Amino acid sequence: MATTLRLYLTCIRNTLEAAMCLQNFPCQEVERHNKPEVELKTSPELLLNPVLICRNEAEKCLIETSINSIRISLKVKQADELENILAKKFLRFLSMRAESFQVLRRKPVQGYDISFLITNYHCEDMHKHKLIDFIVQFMEDIDKEISELKLSVNTRGRLVATEFLKQFI
Amino acid sequence: MAFFNRVSPALVEILNKLQSGESLTDFDHNLYEYGSVRYNIQASASSPQIVNLSTWMPPLSPEFSSDCLPDCALQDVKRVYLDSAEVVEPSKQGYMLTLRIDFAELPQRKDRMKAISEISSLHAVILSSQMKDMLWNLEPRYMGNGMCNPIKIVHQLKEPFFVIKMLEKTTVIYPMRFKDDTDVILATSFFQELVDVSNLEAHYKAPRCTWSPIPPLELRGEPFQYLTTNGGFVSLEIFSQHIRGTKADNTVWNLLTFVSYVKYHVKCTRGFIQRKMRQRQESLTEVIRSARIRGDEDVKKHQIGGHKNVKKLMNFSRSKMFKKRYTIITNKIKKFHYRIKIKWLLHRFRRQWLRVQKIPLLRKYRKLD
Repeated sequence: MATTLRLYLTCIRNTLEAAMCLQNFPCQEVERHNKPEVELKTSPELLLNPVLICRNEAEKCLIETSINSIRISLKVKQADELENILAKKFLRFLSMRAESFQVLRRKPVQGYDISFLITNYHCEDMHKHKLIDFIVQFMEDIDKEISELKLSVNTRGRLVATEFLKQFI
Repeated sequence: MAFFNRVSPALVEILNKLQSGESLTDFDHNLYEYGSVRYNIQASASSPQIVNLSTWMPPLSPEFSSDCLPDCALQDVKRVYLDSAEVVEPSKQGYMLTLRIDFAELPQRKDRMKAISEISSLHAVILSSQMKDMLWNLEPRYMGNGMCNPIKIVHQLKEPFFVIKMLEKTTVIYPMRFKDDTDVILATSFFQELVDVSNLEAHYKAPRCTWSPIPPLELRGEPFQYLTTNGGFVSLEIFSQHIRGTKADNTVWNLLTFVSYVKYHVKCTRGFIQRKMRQRQESLTEVIRSARIRGDEDVKKHQIGGHKNVKKLMNFSRSKMFKKRYTIITNKIKKFHYRIKIKWLLHRFRRQWLRVQKIPLLRKYRKLD
C-alpha cells in the first residue's frame, strides 16, 4: 500500500517539476491586466495539455498548466461515510483559510476535493522545489490526518461507550 | 451538560441565598428549566427560615396524571426528604408538589450543603420514581401476536422513547434523531462502538445494546411520526440485576438521560475534530512559510489569522520588541540622513574629481646663461 503511494507521489512530483516553468505573461485580451491563464482558458495557445494522474478510482490528481500559472486539483481517498465527512470538513476548513496558504484555491475544481493555483508571482516569492515539497507533503498529511481523525473518533466513541456501560455494573 | 446533573444549579443558588439570610423582603421566584419543568420558591420576610418550594413537570407517560404526583413518586419524595423537608398537602395551585423547607431544622455547614443539594435534585427524584414504577410494577401488556405493547415515555419534548416490559427483561428503545448529517454519522459510529463494547466478555453484566437503522419489531404498529428517524434505533435490555438495590437510581437516571448523553458526545467530538484540524492547519502553514525566499523577517511580518500567531507574538519579551522597534526607527533615520550625505558626497566628488587637474611639471625651468 505504501509503495503505491510512494509511486503516486513521485509521479506527481516529477510532473510538477516539469510543469512548473512559469513566466510573467500579461493578458492578451485586456490591456494592463495580468491574469492566470489556466483559470480563464481564453487563449488555447497559452495552455499546455492537462495531466491526470490516478492512483486508483478514488484518488487522482489533475495538473493543468499554462504559461503563467498552474492548477493542481486533488481527489482524496474516502473509504466510508465517516472518512467522507472528515475529508469534506477538513478540506473545507482549509479552503476557508486559503489566505494563510497563499497557493490554495478557495473553491475546488468540480469533481475534486481541493485545488491549488500557483502563479509566476508565487514562483518568484518562493523556492520552486519547496513549493513542490509543500504540495506533496500536503497530500501525505491530508491522508495521515484523515486516518488519525477517524481512529481518534472511534477510540473516543469506544471509551465513552465503556464509561456509559460501567455505570450499570 | 446540565441534563446529566441530578442537582439543579439554579435551585442550589437560590436556596443558598435564602438560607444565608441575604434576602430581607418577601421572596416569590418562578424558575423554568429544560423547557418544561417549573419551580416556584416562596419565602416571607416575617419567617425567612421557612421556604415553600413548588414544582410542576410533565409526566413521563400519558398513564400518569399531569395535575398531581403519582402515589409512587409521592411516597418516594416523602422517604427521601424525611429529614430535610415536609410535603404540603394540598400543593400550591398549578403545581403538582409543594415542599416546606425549614432551614432551622437543617444540619449545619457541610451537611447543610448536602441537604440543599438533595432538595435541589427534586426533579430527578420525581422522574426516577416514575420510571422505577414503570420498570418494576407495571404488568407486561401482551398483544395478540405474543409481542408486548410498548409504553411511550417523553422525558424531553419531542423526543419520546419506548419501554417494553416483559417477564424476564425490560427493553428500552430510543429512536434517534439529529439535525445534521455529520451528527448522524458520528452518532452511528458511536452506536457501533457501543454495540461492540456491550458484547465483550468484560461487560457481560452490562445491559445488552443493539442498534438498527429500521424500527425494531416491537415498535411496529406505533404512529409513523415516532418511527421516522435519521439516526436509527438503539435498544437497551435491562434485567433485574440492573434495578436491584442501590443500582436502581443510577440505572434509571442513565436511561432517562441517554439521548442527552449521546448528543453531548457528538458535540464534544465535533469540537475535538475542529481542534485537530486547527493544529494540522498551523503545521501546514509553517511548511509554506518556510518556502519563502526572503526568509524569517517577512514570515514574522506576514499577517495570518489564528491564535497561535498571536501566541507567537506574545512570546517575544517586551524588551526585545522595544529593541526591534528602536532599530527599525534608527535605521529609517539613518537612511534619511544618508540621502543628504550622499548628495553632499556626490557634490564633493564632482567638485574634487571632475574639475581639470593640473599636471605637475616633471622638470623645472632652467634659465640658460
